[in-house]
Amino acid sequence: MRLKRLVIAAFAAAGLQLAEAQPAELRIGFTLDPLTLDPANHRSRETESVLRTMYNGLVAHDPAMKLVPEVIEGWSWIDPQTMDVKVRQGVTFHSGEPMTADDVVYTFTRILTDGAIGGQTSPRKSLLGPTKSVLRVDAATVRFLLSDPWPVLPAMLTFQEVVSKSFAEKAGAAGMATQENGTGPFKLVQWRRGDSLVLERFPAYFGGAPAIAEAGKACIDRVVIKIIPENASRVAALLAGDVDIVNELPAHDIRSVEANRNTKVMAVNGTRTFFVALNNTRKPFDDVRVRRAANHALNRQLIIDKLLNGRAERLNGVMSPAAFGFNPSLTEYTYDVKTAKALLTEAGYANGIDVTLDADGPQKETAEAIAALLTQAGIRTKVAVGEGSQVRAKWAPTSKREGDMWITSWGNGSLDPTDIFEPTLQTDGRGNSAFYSNTELDGLLAAGRRETDTAKRAALYQQAQAIVNRDAPWIFLWLPQDLYGVSARLTGWAPAASGWLNLRDACVQ
Amino acid sequence: MKPILLLQRLLHLIPVLFGVTVIVFLMMSLTPGDPAEIMLANQNASPEAVVSLRHDMGLDRTLSARFVSFATNAMVGDFGVSLFHRRPVAAVIAERLPATIELSIAALLLALLVAIPLGVVAAVHRGGVVDRLATVGALFGVSLPGFWFGILLLIGFAVQLRWLPVSGAIDFASQPPHVTGFLIIDSVISLRLDSLANTLAHLLLPAVTLGLPMAAILMRVTRASMLDVLRQDYIVFAEAKGLTRRRILALHALKNALLPTVTVAAIETGSLLGGNMVVETVFGWPGLGRLVVESIFVRNYPLVQAAVLLYAVTYVLVNFLADLLYTVLNPRVRM
Repeated sequence: MRLKRLVIAAFAAAGLQLAEAQPAELRIGFTLDPLTLDPANHRSRETESVLRTMYNGLVAHDPAMKLVPEVIEGWSWIDPQTMDVKVRQGVTFHSGEPMTADDVVYTFTRILTDGAIGGQTSPRKSLLGPTKSVLRVDAATVRFLLSDPWPVLPAMLTFQEVVSKSFAEKAGAAGMATQENGTGPFKLVQWRRGDSLVLERFPAYFGGAPAIAEAGKACIDRVVIKIIPENASRVAALLAGDVDIVNELPAHDIRSVEANRNTKVMAVNGTRTFFVALNNTRKPFDDVRVRRAANHALNRQLIIDKLLNGRAERLNGVMSPAAFGFNPSLTEYTYDVKTAKALLTEAGYANGIDVTLDADGPQKETAEAIAALLTQAGIRTKVAVGEGSQVRAKWAPTSKREGDMWITSWGNGSLDPTDIFEPTLQTDGRGNSAFYSNTELDGLLAAGRRETDTAKRAALYQQAQAIVNRDAPWIFLWLPQDLYGVSARLTGWAPAASGWLNLRDACVQ
Repeated sequence: MKPILLLQRLLHLIPVLFGVTVIVFLMMSLTPGDPAEIMLANQNASPEAVVSLRHDMGLDRTLSARFVSFATNAMVGDFGVSLFHRRPVAAVIAERLPATIELSIAALLLALLVAIPLGVVAAVHRGGVVDRLATVGALFGVSLPGFWFGILLLIGFAVQLRWLPVSGAIDFASQPPHVTGFLIIDSVISLRLDSLANTLAHLLLPAVTLGLPMAAILMRVTRASMLDVLRQDYIVFAEAKGLTRRRILALHALKNALLPTVTVAAIETGSLLGGNMVVETVFGWPGLGRLVVESIFVRNYPLVQAAVLLYAVTYVLVNFLADLLYTVLNPRVRM
């Protein structure tokens, strides 16, 4: 009897010890394997999301997507073509070395110099726009020299992560692709290609951007990022309790995730603006009244509710509400078939118009819904589905400009207006698929590109948004949310519009 | 078989591989979509950026120049640099190959182990319960789309019953030390029973999904050929000699009946390679098939070319092995 008790006690003690020794582990079901671990040698959003758990940049976002300094104290413009950053002290790489101004200079020189990555040129170079060179001023100051004024630089610095000079020189291009030495909250333990990444809390982490509340070390001990590309399998892993977070939750799985007691859906506004580009150079959409009619003819909320499960925000302009300089007082094109028909009649199309809506495969369903609604208002729309790159070529500004309308989108990862306004709406912008041209708008955009005073710059873009809203070169659609499925045991975590995983404050019970 | 004939057969590989190289190269080049544009998406990609990236990727050379350098380098095993991983293609493929080989062999073994006994039993007891069940089962096996069937298994065994893991090849805690990269072999070498069990648990559902259509086809082939053999004179003769039924089936009938099974199994290896792409995607299996699918989407020319070449070599070699096996099964067959 006594023996039995002893045995039970021993087992209980062992169990207790096991429970204590068990590290707090967070598992993530993620769509894609990182292409490389070299922060300078890729152009993949997923790779960046993974790398940002291990690496830091000069600039990061707070939860409201406002820019905050990360491994720097801050930035200041000396003139419109010169910007200084103050390097933060006390930031250490995972190897134990302190991060210095030399590392920052090396990081950017490696990106800007052709052939600097074992003969390859960083595909992230173009994300630095007119940046000419980066110099060390003193031990705590690094200077960015630009060939043109470019106030968007701080926003674009969020796309680059700081590497260690000595480590990168030693590891070479091949070593940087498979090893990691960042300054982030987690360091790499193992990368099984195509299968998983295992990360461990970095005890000497400097704490992250001080502007983000509760700066400090990470809460969890270990992170396992499991690569599960197939949507249904990723959701299955969440429902089975195999993972705590899944990215890219498909809208049609929202119900099953919400119905499960142990899981819930989390959403964040994305950064991609969806719209229907109208051919502004050809009848019938060369007439602003017809373009406005098309905007009134579409019940956007209905499509959002039915096709996107309510997970998108209606837009009346170009930019996300989270973007810098967003104009909240744009006129709403309310769903109003009567107004739409009246506008068509006024424009001389009392009997309606016949048009074609181009779409690529993934947009087929949405395009058909839009076509059906437009047709009810007298804009009789046929949908033509084509292969992505061919449809894009048809709508390139350099094309013959023969289409009527095209459902498309434009990503604005920096959430700075330059990044979306100039390509899509400036005269002959490379993504100006509406072939829209307005000298007043062009002037405002040119001024915005040079203005370093943030308040004045915001005002310029607000005015630009009002013009676009009035001229309606597009049918304004929506900004879809990025959806995540998370387990109920996860606390302290929220998805970010940037797609970064931001695991520092995440805890599991 | 004479070594000279063997060598001749191997030499036949060369024109086949050359043809495959040309076709794959042209197909990839003619597919619309530019890798540089796809890589830059529309994240601030100015035309100049696209041009400089195309130069960096070597895509600014003419088609013929690209083909010549690809073909000559491929001969010495250099398949170039993966446009998106920015590392040598051979290294990227080598990392993913062991998982695919393990899965394919497991599926093949599973298919053979199920198909041959079932086919024999169904033929011997023609019209019986086993025959009918097996025939209906085979019909399902060939008609169920692997994609759907895999997800069905996943929901049943991983989500509802929670007997098996949802995805991946092994859990972090169970990993054996890296020796060969093949998890089963590494587990055995390091005498890690827990690793072996964990690997097999991860392997089961993908192998069943991948092996099922093959098992169905092989079962039908074995059954038909067994029925055919059982009607032959030498079987009647063997029965007349008074040999036991078991001995007749095992020694006289099965050996001959297996000839078509071997042929079909070799041909079906091709569909196994294709099926890998689907199954690896569904089960998050870290193999080559998934890598190829992802690479096709982004027009990663060098990687797709190398992988297809690898598939072609595998296919031809497997069929070559099947031919060799013929001579063992039936000495009348000469090469």
